[in-house]
Amino acid sequence: MEKKKENVFRKLARWFVRWIFGVKFEEKWFGIRHGVTEKEIKFKDGVPDDSELIVSPGRQILNRFLERKFAVFSVFVVLVMFVVVFIAPHFMTKYYDAFTETTQKDLPPALDLMSVPGELAGNIKMIDSYSSFSVGLSNDGKVYVWGIGNIGATGITVKDIPEEVKNAKIAYVAAGQDHIIAIGEDGKYYGWGSNRFGQFEATDAVRENPNLEPVPDVVANGELDVSHIKKITCGYQASAILMDDGTLYIWGNKQTYANLDKFIGRTNMLDVDFTLNYVVGLDEKQTSVYTGTKGLYTKASATIGGNNSVKMSEFLNGRKINEVRATSTSICLLLDDGMIGLTGDFQSDVQEVPELEEGERFIDIEAGTYHYSGLTNLGHVYSFGGDHYRQAEAPRVSGAAKLFAGAFQSYAVDANGKLLDKWGLKGYLFGTDDRGANIAERVVAGGRITMTVGAVAVIIEIIIGVSIGLIAGFAGGWVDIFLMRVAEVFSSIPLYPFMLILSSLLSRASLSTDQRLYMIMVILGILGWPGFAYITRAQVLVARESEYVTAAQAMGVKSMRIAFKHILPNIVSVILVNMTLSFAASMQTETSLSFLGFGVNYPQPSWGNMLSRASNAVAAINFWWQWVFTSAILIMTTVCINTIGDTLRDVMDPKSTNDK
Amino acid sequence: MARYIAKRLVYMMLVFFLLTFILFVLYHLMPANRAYTDARTEIQTMKRLSEEEKATKFDELYLKYQRLYGTDTDNNVILYLRWLGLYPFYDGHYSGIFQGDFGFSYDYNLPVIDVVPVHMRNSFLIGIITEIAVLGITIPLGIKCAVKKNSRFDRFTQFFTLIGFSTPSFIIYIVFIVFFCSILGWFPVSGMKTPGANYTGWREALDVLHHVTLPTICLTFGSLASITRITRASMIDALNLDCIRTARAKGLSEKVVIYSHAWRNALIPMVSIIVGGFFGTISGAMILEQMFGFKGMGLLFLNAMRNADYDMIMFLEVIYTFLGLFSNLVIDLCYGIVDPRVRISK
Repeated sequence: MEKKKENVFRKLARWFVRWIFGVKFEEKWFGIRHGVTEKEIKFKDGVPDDSELIVSPGRQILNRFLERKFAVFSVFVVLVMFVVVFIAPHFMTKYYDAFTETTQKDLPPALDLMSVPGELAGNIKMIDSYSSFSVGLSNDGKVYVWGIGNIGATGITVKDIPEEVKNAKIAYVAAGQDHIIAIGEDGKYYGWGSNRFGQFEATDAVRENPNLEPVPDVVANGELDVSHIKKITCGYQASAILMDDGTLYIWGNKQTYANLDKFIGRTNMLDVDFTLNYVVGLDEKQTSVYTGTKGLYTKASATIGGNNSVKMSEFLNGRKINEVRATSTSICLLLDDGMIGLTGDFQSDVQEVPELEEGERFIDIEAGTYHYSGLTNLGHVYSFGGDHYRQAEAPRVSGAAKLFAGAFQSYAVDANGKLLDKWGLKGYLFGTDDRGANIAERVVAGGRITMTVGAVAVIIEIIIGVSIGLIAGFAGGWVDIFLMRVAEVFSSIPLYPFMLILSSLLSRASLSTDQRLYMIMVILGILGWPGFAYITRAQVLVARESEYVTAAQAMGVKSMRIAFKHILPNIVSVILVNMTLSFAASMQTETSLSFLGFGVNYPQPSWGNMLSRASNAVAAINFWWQWVFTSAILIMTTVCINTIGDTLRDVMDPKSTNDK
Repeated sequence: MARYIAKRLVYMMLVFFLLTFILFVLYHLMPANRAYTDARTEIQTMKRLSEEEKATKFDELYLKYQRLYGTDTDNNVILYLRWLGLYPFYDGHYSGIFQGDFGFSYDYNLPVIDVVPVHMRNSFLIGIITEIAVLGITIPLGIKCAVKKNSRFDRFTQFFTLIGFSTPSFIIYIVFIVFFCSILGWFPVSGMKTPGANYTGWREALDVLHHVTLPTICLTFGSLASITRITRASMIDALNLDCIRTARAKGLSEKVVIYSHAWRNALIPMVSIIVGGFFGTISGAMILEQMFGFKGMGLLFLNAMRNADYDMIMFLEVIYTFLGLFSNLVIDLCYGIVDPRVRISK
């Protein structure tokens, strides 16, 4: 039957349709007719007439392959995996191998880090967060917690809001790294979460520990005048309450905040906040950041980039500081003229401070872990600072009256407490690893490395193995004997011990990570080629006796040309099958080596080294997401590749008939 | 036959020397200089020496240690021959593998030869149990699958062996550890015996058994899939042979056809796996031993690699290479036994 040449995409689409919907739809949608369908088989005396069924061998193999649903599905999966691991990294612009983030360590899979509960969304009084969970307070005094509430492997979850908090009308809430504190309208104090470092409760153990500052009695006994609370905020494992009159109550872990002592009992503070290592405040002079420690935050600038920091007094130039807001590493100063100043260090991946419109000025600044969000007098919101999670890319919002910043999120709220917009980190599909990196991203980046290593190793195996096999098989004689002896030597090398020695040699040599990767591919290839050489040689020995080779020889074609031009194409199918199976095997070898720590090393991800933490039984059960997803994807890929190889072998073997 | 074996042995020795030489040279690429470090340590213990005296004294000591360790030359061939025990040291004595001196493990502070046998025994013990269990399970399973090809049972087995075959062994171990140690708590996670408990006699044996059960189960499970697949494939090939058709045609019972005729033929391609497996038990299972802290050959090797315990690595490498080559020889001889058509007396 005549058929037009069709382009590759149309063909693929057609196969896809056939695979999903079946032949009928394929014929209907693509306007084609297959050569033979079941109905059309002519019967002659009750048996099918074979004469029309004859198709070319390639066509027959393809047809038989397409009959196997699972094999076609496997091809689809492997193709998708390839596309994902080789194309997706180009879209992960924020990803880099050595990324670490302490506050995001070991988080389980969740995508609700920014999901403000529906009941709260129209009625927000305040939102606060420091790590992976957020706490919100509605105008009618109800507390909501969302995000990842489990505190490490302690079994404590901050989502268990105490009954008395649920029943009380709450006025203020604040969240730290692993605790939440709340103050009721009546001044009563509540706290929950982890109290290992005296975060919220002054137990006897906390009082006895010189490194911990217990909750002040005034706070704990509920003697605060709620109407005079100016600010309530939490740091890593510490909390602070600031009153209108400048009185500061501060408590928590003094080991994380070395200058916490300097703030205890102060009565002249206008503002207070926590960086990762210091408590920072603002005293009544309003001309510098108070830390109680000399030499900190003495320089400031109006923008993040460039080296335009000048001395604080010079920068302020007579202006006063109204508010200080701290991220983990930097501080933002809101000045009395509505401008901002920045001091401290910034990450490399930042959004610059925005240019404001004419007459526009900041009236509020909120700080996350690395980013700042600012609210202006026109009701617009802006974000700047650390942008790894795209938390500093504010949408266009107007009419915002309040602004809250979570750790990596920001929420713009209007005057009635209705949520206008939110932006920042949604969560992690596969959780995070022990360094706080997003596992989903590492799976993609690691897949690229694992699949590249596997593929390149196989290609090297094929190039060496097939050439040597062809030469040995075709030349025969002493060449054959010599080459086969060489192959034997290589195949008697004990694989793992040898690989380990080579890779530990590599780690001592001063190679860049990329060069090391190439070397691993080459080593895998060099140790794996004998298999291909044996198979090729065996095939060549058969092919050498066939008529077409004799004909070529009779015509005076040179031996090498016969070997590579005439024999090679005829044994491609066998090589193809073994290539597929070797590809999966190489991937497995690479992952095993990397798992042992002798293959691809951190920071480069590979499906093997991402699993190495799971060799610890405790980590394997507590942080199950750190190995389950990666190994599932690894297994799925190798299963599919092996299925393709098996099916190819079956369908290419003329002996195996459809004896179902 | 004897001539064949002799020929093979000579060839084996050649390959052995070639491989160990390559490995030896590779080793000497590693930056380690025992003579230098020892001289350095000794010079630091000497006080009241001027800088100049120190320098001359150091040179003296360095040379002394180099001669002692036989590293007073850069010639790799001489170094290799000294290691083998075929070339004299500076003072004229021979000390190498042929003299029974396999080196000294700095990690264990013992001669290498004293450390290895214990580990080898451990590896061999769980290896041999595993090997027997694996063959005991996979061969009947593979035969049944091949005989009932494409039956539901076969497809079911095929599906699971495909997954098992495609899963790197360490993932299987992780799953088993999580399931049996963390969730069920039946077995201890690592080690060979309960730390601190000085059991004796019967209790000790039970304790060791308790510790090695899970590694053995894991190791068995790790190799079930691939061997089942291989058995099935070679059995299917064997069942398609003409001789099987003939056997059936002459009216032999199905049992005789399968177990006596077909299995005999299917065994031929499996010889290398079975024999290789038995030899492999001695080399130990690196990943498994690493994960369970099981004191076998694999863990010994990994630790030697990590701590750069050179003599140990080299000795283990010799064992591995020797086992590899020797098992090849045994495999070839077994072919002759299993398959009478193979004539190896040529």
